[in-house]
Amino acid sequence: MRVRPLDLAAHGDLRFDARKAGALRRIVPLGMAEIVYAAADMPICLAKDEQTGKFDLVGLMGLVEPVSLFAFPEGFQATYMPRAARLSGFRLDGQSVSGLAIDRDDPAFGESGEALFEGQRPAPWLSNIALELKNLIADIERARELAAAYADRAVLRPLRIRLERRGAGEHEVEGLYTFDQDALGALDDKAVLAMHRADQLAPAAVMSASLAQVERLRQLHNARFTPVIESFALQVR
Amino acid sequence: MDDGKGKPDHINTVTVVGGGTAGWLAACRIAAEARRMGREIRLCLVESDRVPPIGVGEGTWPTMRNTLAKIGVSETDFVRECDATFKQGARFTGWADGSPGDSYYHPLNPPAGATRIDLARFWPGEGGGASFAGWIDFQAALCDAGLAPKAITSAEYQGQANYAYHLDAGKFAAFLKEHATSRLGVEHIVGDVADAVLDDSGDIGHLTLSDGRSVSGDLFIDCTGFAALLIGKVYAVPFRSCRDILFADRAIAMQVPYAQENAPIASQTISTATGAGWIWDIGLWARRGVGHVYSSAHCDDERAEKMLRDYIGPAAKDLTSRRIDIDAGYRTRFWQNNCVAVGLSAGFLEPLEASALMLVETSLDAIAERLPQNRQAMRIAARQFNTTFLHHWARIIEFLKLHYGITRRRDTDFWRDNADPASFPDELAERLEFWRHHSPNAQDFTHAREVFGWPSYQYVLNGMGFAADRSSLGDGSPNAAVARGLLEQLDRLRSEALTRLPAHRDLIRAIREHGLQRI
Repeated sequence: MRVRPLDLAAHGDLRFDARKAGALRRIVPLGMAEIVYAAADMPICLAKDEQTGKFDLVGLMGLVEPVSLFAFPEGFQATYMPRAARLSGFRLDGQSVSGLAIDRDDPAFGESGEALFEGQRPAPWLSNIALELKNLIADIERARELAAAYADRAVLRPLRIRLERRGAGEHEVEGLYTFDQDALGALDDKAVLAMHRADQLAPAAVMSASLAQVERLRQLHNARFTPVIESFALQVR
Repeated sequence: MDDGKGKPDHINTVTVVGGGTAGWLAACRIAAEARRMGREIRLCLVESDRVPPIGVGEGTWPTMRNTLAKIGVSETDFVRECDATFKQGARFTGWADGSPGDSYYHPLNPPAGATRIDLARFWPGEGGGASFAGWIDFQAALCDAGLAPKAITSAEYQGQANYAYHLDAGKFAAFLKEHATSRLGVEHIVGDVADAVLDDSGDIGHLTLSDGRSVSGDLFIDCTGFAALLIGKVYAVPFRSCRDILFADRAIAMQVPYAQENAPIASQTISTATGAGWIWDIGLWARRGVGHVYSSAHCDDERAEKMLRDYIGPAAKDLTSRRIDIDAGYRTRFWQNNCVAVGLSAGFLEPLEASALMLVETSLDAIAERLPQNRQAMRIAARQFNTTFLHHWARIIEFLKLHYGITRRRDTDFWRDNADPASFPDELAERLEFWRHHSPNAQDFTHAREVFGWPSYQYVLNGMGFAADRSSLGDGSPNAAVARGLLEQLDRLRSEALTRLPAHRDLIRAIREHGLQRI
């Protein structure tokens, strides 16, 4: 990964094409405000952060290959593009003039799209990117607090997605978590009311229902990749 | 339904005497189990504030993970409050022949394919270029690389490799005390036991404290350490010494700070043989626990301490040491009438394979999960308990003796005496003769639940270079293909674990900062 502060010498000729952003992301973190939108397209699960072990809400955009199945040559095709996917090539960087760093390897950067520089100066639209990144980070933190509340209630369980591939055996998608419906059902009235008042129950229902989108991912996968996935099974342990 | 609680012989109150690690663990384990079973038990712990805990036992077995989970503590809290680190086994240095490079692992992972075939039969021997533990499992590689057995994304009490803990025994007792009194409803009584009043059946009716208070109970757990106030002083149950088998009778312990804040933490107990015993080296979060176990018949205290200080190096200069006497042996009965001895009151062995806390846990499993409803059932439970634990103690002693007995060292009287077959228990001598021709196997043991099973014997025998007739262990069997598959799978596991697992200290730091998730 070539991440470095936005710099005229290194990035002066680059353009940003939002339609190509996130094409190499199989999983993206989601903010609290994105749950209902992302659920229209993709399964929403939980996954642990590699550095802290804490739960994040994540959108699953791919199954086997390390790519987004919503990314097509003509651009991202889904109802909603998660902000972390769209902004995947940018990082906040307090050291640079624009407050941003760039991941040069992100497919959104190339010869098409909006120029990163106007003359000698960063393009004005980049200030919105920095603001969006800050908002996204804050929203992801809210989602993390929601996930921590679920973990405290002991209603999460590991989710294993088992894919049966034609002529290629089984493939497992691991490292994901979802809701244990039995544990949710066993919550006492006081806990249910507390979760409802804290706006934690509705997101849980949306995320649980979003697992039906694995079938959509299977179809998108089969349209582009072989071996095709003939069937899948969701195992909540 | 008549649950019998009102009957005079019903077991309603359990009184633990002694507040060290064993005492508080007993209180937690029995209280938590009773709660889980929906049984109303009053649990008291009587503790003197004038007797300092012995504080031995910084190494555990993987059983401790189950124990902690059963009593309802979070692994994160345990790691943070007990300065705990992860233990993946033991590395024995200088035990086989004392030559440079003489070192082997007894990891906690079982050999690969342990539930399918005996892979050890296909080990080419040290001549094949790999140590036994390194060939048959990946955990030794993790230890050598300084890696942890799990990642920050692992759930509490789960890991990619099997693991136990190294812990600060003093902090552990305090941690358990807090949990017992604040979460499990254990009644804490501070006082000195002056007397035990027996009823007509010989059972303890109540204890009298030195300030005149009386503490009743239906079942008493004696966790009074070496004092053995109940099992020894009240019931005078004889003590069976094993000093004729295990010669070490002293230990000198020191607490050694790390040279640098970020110094690596070993995730194995390092056990280094000396001329008269061995030195343990245990890495905790903030310090190392280091000690010399030795035979006073082969080495005086001054020389033993010098050996320890030489091992530690310049860091030992201003450190104080603490001496512990080891009267190796055990009671001929652990459960007498309505009193069960758990911990040092039951017996004590050198900490070579960290069996002390494991025995406490195993005893408590047997007591808590089969807590007698009444005194009639208690007589049966006592008899069964005594049979089981006499077996366990004898077999642990055999296993410890194995480490000494098959040495090829002859450089000091200590090792020459240890290698003398006359000092071997008969059953060990017989098994060793058998193992000269066969790989250790589950069928070699009469009990289904051995504390040291055949994998442990394989690790030690092969690690020590025990001379076995390998010519009869052909590899042309149908299992050879299974073995090849297992070894290929093991290579993948090893490679993945070495790539993905964090440095031990980094993981402990992350747990202290962020905590582990429960799932």
